[in-house]
Amino acid sequence: MIDFTWKIGGEAGFGIMTTGLVFSKIASRLGYYIFDTIEYPSLIRGGHNAYEVRVSAEKIHHLKKEIDVLVCLNEETFKKHQQRLTINSLVIFDEDEFKIKGKKYKKISIPLEKILLDLHGPVIMKNTIALGASLAVLGGKVDELLKIIVEQFGRKGEEVVNFNKQFAQTGYDYVKKKYPQQIRPLLIKKSLESKLVMTGNDAFSLASVIADCRFFCSYPMTPSSSVLTTLAAWQKKTGIVVRHAEDEISVINTALGTSFTGVRSAVGTSGGGFALMVEAVSLSGITETPLVIFLAQRPGPATGMPTWTEQGDLLFAVYAGHGEFPKIVLAPGDVEEMVELTGKAFNLADIYQLPVIVLSDMLLSESHESISKKFIDDFIKSYKVKRGKFLKEMTNDKLQMTNQVQNPNVKSKNFLRYKITKDGISPRLIPGTPEYFYQANSYEHLEDGHTTEEAEPRKNQVEKRNRKWLTYLKEDFSLPKVYGDLEKAKTVFVSWGSGKGAVLEAQKQLGNTALIHFTHVYPLDKEKVRPFFQKKKRYILVESNSWGQFGKLLQQETGVEIKERILKYDGRPITAEEVVKHVNSLTR
Amino acid sequence: MSTIQDFTGYKPTWCSGCGNWGIGMAIKQTLVQLGLTPSDIAVVFGIGCSGNMNDFLNAYTIHSLHGRAIPNAIGIKLANHKLPVICVVGDGDCYGEGGNHLLHACRGNHDITVIVHDNRVYGLTTGQVAPTAQKGYQSKSTPAGIIEVPVNPLVLALTSGATFIAQAFAADAVQMATIIKAGIEHRGFSLINILQPCVTFNKVNTYQYYLQRSYKLEKNYQKDDFRSALNKSLELLEEKFPLGVIYQVKKPTYTESLPQIKEKPLVEKERFRDFEKIVKDFI
Repeated sequence: MIDFTWKIGGEAGFGIMTTGLVFSKIASRLGYYIFDTIEYPSLIRGGHNAYEVRVSAEKIHHLKKEIDVLVCLNEETFKKHQQRLTINSLVIFDEDEFKIKGKKYKKISIPLEKILLDLHGPVIMKNTIALGASLAVLGGKVDELLKIIVEQFGRKGEEVVNFNKQFAQTGYDYVKKKYPQQIRPLLIKKSLESKLVMTGNDAFSLASVIADCRFFCSYPMTPSSSVLTTLAAWQKKTGIVVRHAEDEISVINTALGTSFTGVRSAVGTSGGGFALMVEAVSLSGITETPLVIFLAQRPGPATGMPTWTEQGDLLFAVYAGHGEFPKIVLAPGDVEEMVELTGKAFNLADIYQLPVIVLSDMLLSESHESISKKFIDDFIKSYKVKRGKFLKEMTNDKLQMTNQVQNPNVKSKNFLRYKITKDGISPRLIPGTPEYFYQANSYEHLEDGHTTEEAEPRKNQVEKRNRKWLTYLKEDFSLPKVYGDLEKAKTVFVSWGSGKGAVLEAQKQLGNTALIHFTHVYPLDKEKVRPFFQKKKRYILVESNSWGQFGKLLQQETGVEIKERILKYDGRPITAEEVVKHVNSLTR
Repeated sequence: MSTIQDFTGYKPTWCSGCGNWGIGMAIKQTLVQLGLTPSDIAVVFGIGCSGNMNDFLNAYTIHSLHGRAIPNAIGIKLANHKLPVICVVGDGDCYGEGGNHLLHACRGNHDITVIVHDNRVYGLTTGQVAPTAQKGYQSKSTPAGIIEVPVNPLVLALTSGATFIAQAFAADAVQMATIIKAGIEHRGFSLINILQPCVTFNKVNTYQYYLQRSYKLEKNYQKDDFRSALNKSLELLEEKFPLGVIYQVKKPTYTESLPQIKEKPLVEKERFRDFEKIVKDFI
């Protein structure tokens, strides 16, 4: 079965990221599944960039250990990644720049510098030559690459297109001529089924538009920034309004303003930006204003390691906000779940009138996965915009919704925005509706929105808000998904969010294991969750942080304690090999 | 036709003699004059004595967080630019805690009217110094006198891109109503700084203090001239307070610059459904 890893590395600022994505798209267009990740420091120039693409005939969720083709645009790439090469690995490099000794790997030297000189090309064209060479080595056709060049540069005219094309063609021809014996038939057209190459951030962006989100507000922060730039680029096509505000405090308060006025709204950020938003998360809570918050985690504290990955903000997200108010936290495990849960998050925010946090992390936000186009088409067809008790107009039968005790001289009616209800959810009237008015109040308030400091109404409002959680657990909470046979498995992994991929890959190697994977991480339904843990089995918690944050949350919310843990917090994603190694080294 | 009564909510809890009474009345009078009802407007209140107007004024409102009224108001305007949007805020609220939002709202020429109750002191927290207080002002939080110099909100707004800047005095209800009306009618960002004595905590900047130092702008004053406006705004340095519209120019507002809401307000638009247009980016 075809399953290989291609990796390219070079100096930051010279097009590695674009090149990697082009490779992923080519593989995907040929019908293969891909999973890719990028490595880059928090710098624009200097430092080392790398882009790794795993290509497989079957659906994959993570990287693999060996690198099969390593494209070295500089010596550092080779030095940094050579430990993952095997005797069958191919190394593409330029021996005019550096030498590789010995016969441990298959070597393909391409005179990148010389080709640049001959064709009068800028340094960035090394990528295009290397892409052409890579396609040749993998038995692909250069046409796929030439097509993408036309798509990328078509707008700039034929001259630019042809200029780029010649580098691709030269790289391709060079390998065909000089290294015919190294060519491997790995990238031959496989299927006609259309696939999409998307990151978690792409998935959030796309699903937001599908979910009728009309306003997105953000301040750039790695690794969430591409949601801002993607949605900003779509404004003309989709009509969404995107505001890049002065700071994250303004970001969330602007979105609460649009949401109050009846527009589905979302904000996007990472840990530090979310920290600034927290006061207004609480405002969303007491004013019962719906809001979707996209929180892409990276290693903290403070500035931490901006371009690396961690699941270190779970408990922060869960407890964000002063005072007691309900919120919902969802954590998708892959790109498809990001699409589904983003769609659900907007519905939940509207139905329950509260903040819903969609937790991602650098690994999920910036890695590409292929998903079938049919999956998106089906999602579009089946998705229903559910706005809950949102009233776009008032009719006479809703008159009981107004305050009967108000001043009789006032012609307009004070709508009972915070009416006490059984399910905890009060009807919400769109501002601007004639003959009515009300206030969304950050102070504790009466049913009609006016400020109160009285004991009884306070107690009633607290309990009303808390009841929304009970309604949610009954109506919309989803149980963890089980991968593998929970009955037969001796070893059971417990994970959440992006922890899923590495465990699924490890399961392929281990056999007879199961994974309990949580996406609806907060609140948790004790009665429904506990039965998953009643068997006498070896449970292993897998997460990317040093505290075992989900383990703590699970224990607090359900009483289930998992003692054995695989925790990683060096900024790198957990790998399947690490999971396998842990299981085998401690097998009892 | 609405009346003052229609806008009248609960009985205010302000101190007797507080400038807020006059400002509150001027706002209601203006709304009546403009032929609006409580259903036709959105008001965002900050936190402070001024923000407590939330319970005394009927409208679609948010009683926001301290300092955050402006971004809420920007959001309301983006969602439905047909609604007139007003912010009722204090000096600590708008020039201290939320100062950054003010600057950037000016830059964007967001079509909102920000009415600042400038009493140079924090009333609701019982008398600490505000960012507009004169250097040396002694308060509970600055017993030896404040070290910082005061902010000059008029200059800040002017140099940040606001297209309507005015100053009023809380004791002059008639002029206040005229200015607030002009501010709401102005298309673009309007800052109205209202000089307001705090009878309980500020014994320096009293009604008498402002009566002696304020004056109405001359009839022939050129309000569209940036340099004149700058000079008028700088008179704060000499403790002189011009009253009236100091600056007004016509420029495109933020929402006018968004082609996607040219036809209809964002909240009233049909749902976008042509998803194929964006899905193809990922093939």
